[in-house]
Amino acid sequence: MRLFEATHVFKHDWETVSLASWRKYPNENTPHVRHVEVLNQEVDPETGVLRTERLIMVQQGVPALVRKLFGGDASYVLEYSEVDPRQRTLVMQSQNMTYSNLLSVGEHIVYKPHPENPQHTAFTQSAELKASGALFRLATKIEDICWNRFNDNAQIGRLGLEQVLSKILAERQALTQVPQ
Amino acid sequence: MAEQMESIGKECTPLKHEFDACFTRWYSERFLHGDKSNDCEKIFKAYQACLKNVLREKGLTKMISDARPSIGSVFTDDNDDAGDK
Repeated sequence: MRLFEATHVFKHDWETVSLASWRKYPNENTPHVRHVEVLNQEVDPETGVLRTERLIMVQQGVPALVRKLFGGDASYVLEYSEVDPRQRTLVMQSQNMTYSNLLSVGEHIVYKPHPENPQHTAFTQSAELKASGALFRLATKIEDICWNRFNDNAQIGRLGLEQVLSKILAERQALTQVPQ
Repeated sequence: MAEQMESIGKECTPLKHEFDACFTRWYSERFLHGDKSNDCEKIFKAYQACLKNVLREKGLTKMISDARPSIGSVFTDDNDDAGDK
């Protein structure tokens, strides 16, 4: 099993970053994310928390070894998230479904105001990557490949979100220039 | 609005686009300001119904319900059974 952890600070307020997260795809930095569908969504009438379940389809080139073992390079991921607008938190948990008996990737993400600067947003991401023992000696190698790919995707994912944030900022600036 | 993605089921794409646009607007103009009222309920139900058929045809329904415990999802297959016969 391998663990992945990353943190980042987005220099925008939490509301804007959470919005950017919903507007993240399609993104030229993350062409491997092919489909994002909202399966279920509801707002808790008491707490005001927004709960969402999404299906994500990912397709990206993989080393021949992986393709040979897993039979392909397309996979489905299920994601569950909760947005608490009062606490200002966005928490996401996702898990791959395809090939999960061979390779399991579980990811946890939290966006919340930065403790030292409430105008900024702290991002934390952690993931558990586990290859099945049935892969024998290859399990460690598979985990290494997976960890490297996960790390690459995490970086372009953050870049993609920063781009969406810039776009939102530009949209707002354009609005303030419209004569009333 | 920026380019959008196709739905997993081609026939659901227009509904998905309409829902995504509605949701983005609602999220930034209402939800983040403490307004829980649901502007997008109607379009979501239509999009969701279309998706359910596609997921069933592609044989993804069981895979999805099997994966729910691992992510702590509160949703079940019964959630949206209103239109199911």
